[in-house]
Amino acid sequence: MGNIFDILVVNPMTNILLLIYDLLFHNYVLAILVLTIIIRLITLPLTLKQQVSSMKMAAMQPQIKAIQEKYKKEPQKLSEEMRKVGFNPLGGCLPLLVQFPILIGLYNAITRTLAVTPLSLLELGKHIYSFLPNLSSLVPVNSTFLGLIDLGQPDKLFIIPILVVATTYFSTKLTTPPSTDAQTKQTNQMMSMMMPVMFGFFMLSAPAGLGIYWIVSNLIGIGQYFLIKPRLDLAKAEHAAATSASSSGGSTPSVSKPSTPKARIPPPRSKVKPSSSARIAKPGSESK
Amino acid sequence: MLLLSACGGGGEVPPSAFPGMVVEGPSAYLASNTIVYKFDVSNGAESWRFPTAPDTANPRGPFSGMPIKVGDVIVVGGSTGSNGAYDKHLYGMSDTTGQEVWRFTPPGDKGREFVDGAVSDGKLIYAPNGDGNLYAIDPAQKDNNQPKVIWTFNTGNRLWGKPLLADGILYQGALDHKLYAINAATGKELWRFEGATAPIAATPTLKDGVLYVGAFDSNFYAVNAKDGSLKWKSTVDGWVWTAATVTKDAVYFGDVHGKLYALDLESGQHNWTYETRDTIKAQPVISGTMLFVVSVDTNVYAFDLTDIRKDATGKVDYNNTKWQNITLARRMFSAPVVVGDALLIPIFDGDVKVWALDVTTGSRKYQFPIPPPATPAPGK
Repeated sequence: MGNIFDILVVNPMTNILLLIYDLLFHNYVLAILVLTIIIRLITLPLTLKQQVSSMKMAAMQPQIKAIQEKYKKEPQKLSEEMRKVGFNPLGGCLPLLVQFPILIGLYNAITRTLAVTPLSLLELGKHIYSFLPNLSSLVPVNSTFLGLIDLGQPDKLFIIPILVVATTYFSTKLTTPPSTDAQTKQTNQMMSMMMPVMFGFFMLSAPAGLGIYWIVSNLIGIGQYFLIKPRLDLAKAEHAAATSASSSGGSTPSVSKPSTPKARIPPPRSKVKPSSSARIAKPGSESK
Repeated sequence: MLLLSACGGGGEVPPSAFPGMVVEGPSAYLASNTIVYKFDVSNGAESWRFPTAPDTANPRGPFSGMPIKVGDVIVVGGSTGSNGAYDKHLYGMSDTTGQEVWRFTPPGDKGREFVDGAVSDGKLIYAPNGDGNLYAIDPAQKDNNQPKVIWTFNTGNRLWGKPLLADGILYQGALDHKLYAINAATGKELWRFEGATAPIAATPTLKDGVLYVGAFDSNFYAVNAKDGSLKWKSTVDGWVWTAATVTKDAVYFGDVHGKLYALDLESGQHNWTYETRDTIKAQPVISGTMLFVVSVDTNVYAFDLTDIRKDATGKVDYNNTKWQNITLARRMFSAPVVVGDALLIPIFDGDVKVWALDVTTGSRKYQFPIPPPATPAPGK
């Protein structure tokens, strides 16, 4: 399985990264930047779908909880009602699952091309396409950034780990949809604090080149979010309108409103003929 | 990203540097991951190890490349860990006790790993470093409590293969794609070969005035040692990082895809090839008429050079070897050594650091370290 993944994902990314590196004046940071942008652009439709789906799921939380409470003893009815409101548990996950191998592939391609150890350099040699022989002349890649940071080594200046923490925090904060559910809210808050710290700690001992990739990816994610925010807001509004319409006129059960429309009660007939100059208000009558 | 990284558990640090071994008389010296060992080649009994215990306050290693014996000091280089961090020292330890007697650190702050150890003429030690410098140091003279630097030769990129020292000349391949000839006494460049288009990491082999060396441009070169001119060039399928073994009429080496080549010494024509299932990084070894090759595919292959059967394309069938040992199940990156009737093979990973096989049959003779005796069950 690992071999198939190499052939289909990691090897192409490794060679493309080297090609871009060759085109961009042997600047490894620029090469990572460009390849990350390309990959984020390719996965943009999936990213958008995932974020819209996450937003919808978050907005539907109270409704979903109510349905689950109402039909907890009727699993078949429960799944039917969930389907009717458009609940799709995989809606947020499936695009992520597709993106995940791409992320792993890019991570491996960067690790491989940095070739910080003789062992990894040897490994790189097995994966350069023979029909691109010029790529062998590029190794070892120039792994110094701004003359300060060796991308193949952990960053002793701690610039990369700090930037990883900061960008991961903001990226997580922005892309996690708000939730009305208290438990979900708490989980999200904890994740948005813990994840940046965990990644920052990891970067203290990982090659700095990986941190560059992560920072670039986060920044692109943040930029992407602001670009697609109008689309997200529109989807949110559409979803809210659809939810509201189905609650007032449809058969979807809701917690606070009766399922049948209000009956109109005619006013009682008056026994006094009204004069042309006076109107007597009848008790219990509806005003028009 | 955390899932993607290797989660290190407790116990030994995962190996990242190629082990190296040399045999001097009755003893073998092995650099293996974070420890240097001395053991008896007849039975695998350990004499000492360095360091004796992990020292977190003064971490050393990993160690890499073949140790060398200079007088009564064993010299080995620090190398690169799996996260890219490196040990930039060259260590000298007592042959008798295994204690550190000196340590060399490249001057300034640019020094890096000593991936392939060093060579010596008995007086000076010539150590190629990942900072692109070849250092000539004299352990008999001290400068700031470490061996004195006699000269430094600078190249354009990392030096990840040790040089060949022959007749007072050092032949050093570099990752800047060049092969240099350097006067060992003065450090002056005599010539440079610039015919390769990719890094040269292998140690050259010299025979009758011709140097034989492979490069990452998938070519194998024969270069005149006198002036660095090209004699012939032979194209192969992949990067070459093995040192070549040369006989009177053939040269043998492997490539990164696991192919073993036998080329005609005079012309570079392909005589025959053999395909293993992963990289051949270790130099092939010849003893008598037998050729031994170890591969990263975890197997050991033995060929009888008087009985090579190849097809019309020059390919030797996979099963057409004198013997194969496919039981070791461990990767091998380092050159084996023939000692009497035993083939000693440094092992890259696992608890066994060296396997000794019978050269005639390939069967196991002993292992190093010797496993502890089995504990009898209680009550028996």
